[in-house]
Amino acid sequence: MSQLHRKCVPFTPYERELSRATVAIVTAAGVHKKVQQAFNIADELGDLTFRIIDSSANSADLMVTHHHYDHWDADSDINVVFPIDALGSLANEGFIGGLARSHVGFMGYTMQLKRMYEETAPAIAEHIDKQSRADIVVLTGG
Amino acid sequence: MSTVLITVSPEASRQMRPPRALYPKGFKIGNSLGRPFMHELHKRVLRDALSLVKEAPMPGEIIEREYPEYTIKE
Repeated sequence: MSQLHRKCVPFTPYERELSRATVAIVTAAGVHKKVQQAFNIADELGDLTFRIIDSSANSADLMVTHHHYDHWDADSDINVVFPIDALGSLANEGFIGGLARSHVGFMGYTMQLKRMYEETAPAIAEHIDKQSRADIVVLTGG
Repeated sequence: MSTVLITVSPEASRQMRPPRALYPKGFKIGNSLGRPFMHELHKRVLRDALSLVKEAPMPGEIIEREYPEYTIKE
């Protein structure tokens, strides 16, 4: 990583109104759909994969696989780390324009930081840009 | 795309210098939006985070906000 990267913050302004924005959630809290393959918590190096969560998913369809934070609360209400219901409410109220086509969950724990930074993160950004089509991304951790 | 981070680990997040970030003060790890089923609180935190997208740019800064209802429910 260059000095420039260390010093600069990659800030992207949003010029339109929030009421016209489509919003996606990207979470490192290990959230995925129950029907999707769980993250691999047996590998000490962590899991570099991510799961695409379509916008039609509701909170009852989702779960957490992560062993580096206490997700007891998220197990009872996924919204404490993945605010899908709150986002739907804000869309219904017109505060935002709507939900993007999909959201993304990954497991933030990894010992392979270089690969997470150089492979996983750009792949997630590519998905958001080309498939999810979100204007704004809300990021959450565990 | 524009991003906004909701963090409950402000020291760690500050090192990453996020473009926009909200720290709901005192929220514990695993409670980024509040405790389970506090629907109105989840909405407030999310609304505040999204509002940062339209506020004056402070790249790399973590904005701290108080949400008394989080601790009152303790």
